[in-house]
Amino acid sequence: MEIYLPLLAQGLAIGLLTGILYVLVALGLTLIYGILHIVNFAHGEIYMLGAMAVFYFHVVGGLPLAPTLLAIVVLSLLFGLAIERGVFRSLRGQWLQLVVASVGISLVIQSVGWIVFGIQEKTVPTYVPGIVQLLGVRLPRERLLAAGVAVVLVAGLYVLVYRTKVGLAMRAIEEDEETARMLGVNANRVAALSVALGFVLAAVAGAFVAPIYSLNPGMGLEPILMSFLIIIVGGLGSITGTVLAGLLVGVLQSVGGVLFGAEAAYGLVFAVMIAVLVVRPAGLLGRA
Amino acid sequence: MSVKAAALAVLLVALVALPPLAEPYVLHVAIVVLINAVYAEALYVIMRMGYLSFGHAGYIALGAYTSALLATKLGVSPWLGILAGACVAAGFAWLLGLVTLKLRGIYFSLSVFAFAEVVNAVFRAVDAFGGPAGIANVPRPSIGGVQLNGHLGFYYVVLAAAVMSLLFLYRLAATRFGFTLLALRTHDTEALAESVGIASARHKTLAFVISCFFCGLMGAIHCHYLRFVSPFVFTFFFSTDLVIFNMVGGLGSFWGPLAGSVLLTALGEQLFAAGYYKSLVYALVLLVVILALPGGLIQLPRMREAWAARRLRLAKAPVTAVER
Amino acid sequence: MMRLSRVITVIAALALLVGLAQPPDAHAQKTFKMGAIVPVSGPAAAFGIGVQHGMEFAAEDIGTLTVGGDKYKIEVVTYDTAYDPGKAVAGMNRAVYNDGVKYGIIIGAGVHPPILPIIKETGFLDLAFAAAGRQITNADNPTVFRIMASSDQLYQTYTAAVVEKLGLKRVAFLGPNDELGKNDGRVLKTQVEALKGKGVSFVADEYYERGAKDFGPALLRLIAHKPDLIETDGSPTGSIALIAKQARELGFTGYFLNSTAVLEAKAISDIAGKAGDNIIALRIWAKPPTELYSQLAERHQKKYGEAAPGTLWEAYAATRWVADVIQKTGTFDTKKVADALGQSTYPQHPFGAATWGGEKTYGAKRQIVLPIPAAILKDGKWEPFDVRTGKFD
Repeated sequence: MEIYLPLLAQGLAIGLLTGILYVLVALGLTLIYGILHIVNFAHGEIYMLGAMAVFYFHVVGGLPLAPTLLAIVVLSLLFGLAIERGVFRSLRGQWLQLVVASVGISLVIQSVGWIVFGIQEKTVPTYVPGIVQLLGVRLPRERLLAAGVAVVLVAGLYVLVYRTKVGLAMRAIEEDEETARMLGVNANRVAALSVALGFVLAAVAGAFVAPIYSLNPGMGLEPILMSFLIIIVGGLGSITGTVLAGLLVGVLQSVGGVLFGAEAAYGLVFAVMIAVLVVRPAGLLGRA
Repeated sequence: MSVKAAALAVLLVALVALPPLAEPYVLHVAIVVLINAVYAEALYVIMRMGYLSFGHAGYIALGAYTSALLATKLGVSPWLGILAGACVAAGFAWLLGLVTLKLRGIYFSLSVFAFAEVVNAVFRAVDAFGGPAGIANVPRPSIGGVQLNGHLGFYYVVLAAAVMSLLFLYRLAATRFGFTLLALRTHDTEALAESVGIASARHKTLAFVISCFFCGLMGAIHCHYLRFVSPFVFTFFFSTDLVIFNMVGGLGSFWGPLAGSVLLTALGEQLFAAGYYKSLVYALVLLVVILALPGGLIQLPRMREAWAARRLRLAKAPVTAVER
Repeated sequence: MMRLSRVITVIAALALLVGLAQPPDAHAQKTFKMGAIVPVSGPAAAFGIGVQHGMEFAAEDIGTLTVGGDKYKIEVVTYDTAYDPGKAVAGMNRAVYNDGVKYGIIIGAGVHPPILPIIKETGFLDLAFAAAGRQITNADNPTVFRIMASSDQLYQTYTAAVVEKLGLKRVAFLGPNDELGKNDGRVLKTQVEALKGKGVSFVADEYYERGAKDFGPALLRLIAHKPDLIETDGSPTGSIALIAKQARELGFTGYFLNSTAVLEAKAISDIAGKAGDNIIALRIWAKPPTELYSQLAERHQKKYGEAAPGTLWEAYAATRWVADVIQKTGTFDTKKVADALGQSTYPQHPFGAATWGGEKTYGAKRQIVLPIPAAILKDGKWEPFDVRTGKFD
């Protein structure tokens, strides 16, 4: 089969767009893990809830998009605060229990989701239909929108973490908690805020990816595996790392898929992850 | 004879003498309970070291496939196949351990998970290994020319293997080796251990190899029970179940994972029609135990102490989760 | 300390063993249990739930079964397999050995291998919903019947017909890299290559990771070969609409063919929008073939508030057919009933008159033969495309 330029160009474009989607989905996980070193397995389920919320509030309930998104932000914020207070806080200091507890939470949400939402696949009609043709490459509008949202959120996260007092507090806690506490940083507040923000990011990602694929209560599993992969490759605690890794994985999958077939590309991505783990366990841009 | 030894003796006698009177379904449940118990205890070996594995199903699959392939393609006796399965799993564990045991916390967990996925992916992709359809018609072992196709005969095979494995793993915990593993639980204590001359890398590797040896052993037996194996039997969800057995039972002693696996497997069998309610129940039990019963079910008699310990821990616990 | 925890373990173990050996209840009213050994959780849950509901409707409609002078009520017992071989074995063990179930519907080619030994040993009459072929229905398994059109049958009946009707020349296949997908790809290739004389060629096949939602790379490779038909058999129902949508995004303008998309039109048009047009689906009735079909559909909508999953009608029919044969033979002996069933026909099937076939291909007359429709999606609505009786020797 001849590989020719237009095919590769399209593959690259799709890869970049898919990669940005991965970044969008992984942001929430990066935040919580980056600051608190807590592995939030429930991340995928919050993403699912965000998508389901759009379906039930907007599609079924008729609520316009803007109030729907606002509702999603508020609800996920509250949920995050509740989980931090109710679950994470009582398990401080016990890494193993924390991880397994978050697995438990994800299973509970997933099971309840199947029972309440039912088994039929649901769809959210696209927010922006149509394709944009750019230099012979076809780009679906809804993916461009999601990419735009991702860019905005990444930029926002940068500003928050590196340019605000809150961000400073977060970084201080992450780097040296004891000293930060001694200097007056309220660790509890940082923890609560980080988790809440992580949940919001997950839910918003779900809301914007919802129209691209169909919805079912099990849709949280793949994003969380992907997000972990990206965070590992990109490096713990590094937003830039997450962005780069997300794009890299997306492009690898897509271009690799075009060149070698989808199955091989899947294996390729895993191989890269293992290679990174072996050669640079802290990730491409992580701090050792 | 102490009470505990007497109780165990009674249990053992019951497990040996009662089955001929039992219905095939009860035997089925007993077989599954015994197999899961060994899986859970095998996983426990590395969990008490502080290593969380979401990929043990991969080693179980390796054991199962080895024996299945040997039996169906080369006509090798299942007895040998089972042993071979255990060794193959242990071998891969050793190889993987070289790389992954250096990793901490979640990195380790994800790397073993990745390995398990790769294992299943390879079995799925290569037709010689059965491909997506898996391997069917895996024969049961024979004793004296009689193939153990019924439930009762095979039950005794499983019982023997399980008792021997559990006995070994139990004794392991009481040896110096076992205690050393406990010392490796956190990063700090590991450093401490090394400073007194303990070769932590070798200990960890050996523990990992032992853990996977028994996974492979029981995996092969499991496969001969089902007379079938496919890439969709030993999945990530299976690994998660094993972790849940350990956590619910409690990581404080050998009896924890045993209790956890027995109870949850039995519970699972009762919920046969419940669909999603079954995983909901599992998850709720897990959360309730983690949050309300620090130390798992086996710490029930000492709940007050466990809670006190947790309160103490919380008082000086950092907000950021320290791995291992 | 250790004593207590150990005692707890011992008690738990014994209670477990005792509690499980429950003998079947002695009801005043005699019941005839039929098992639904199907997934009611997990990704294949829709199929299982359809079977469950179909069997329950049938049980209601049959009322009482008179066998050997006694009257029996039919009870449908569900054993969730979640499409997992291990759970299927557990469910089968419980059904057959604990609950004394001898008849049932079992879903899944992937879960049949480990339970076939149990079926053979106990003579369980298995009404199987499994697309793949030979290992399940063959001369060695006289009590196993396939109650849905098999992949082989669908391909034999339709591939050439569709291609000719639309004047297509280049056929490609996209499927999941699991047993169903790989099998279907192989069968399709053989079928199309038999049409070489008519200028039709099989241009490419691609396989994606099972469970994937992004088919971009695979589609790109496929589309590079310029197919005019993409066969998507073996893909789970939710994926077909996504495949169509993404293929159109990449510029594909041809047809799609599928036989596992037993979804209603609305779902596909919701997901794919206009992109869903020109999807040809086998086994979807654009126009109800019989009164009974519509009645069952409405009944499901009314009772459950959801459209009936595609397996409803076949499960309903199989249950009633078997019950009829049991009543006529006057015994529950599965061997005798299997023999009688294999010789009988069922004109009241919601799809149309049904009979058994498959002697040549499978070595046993255990494959259901009935009218199979094809429908094409246009403007978000299914329109009839063709109806043939499944050709099968």
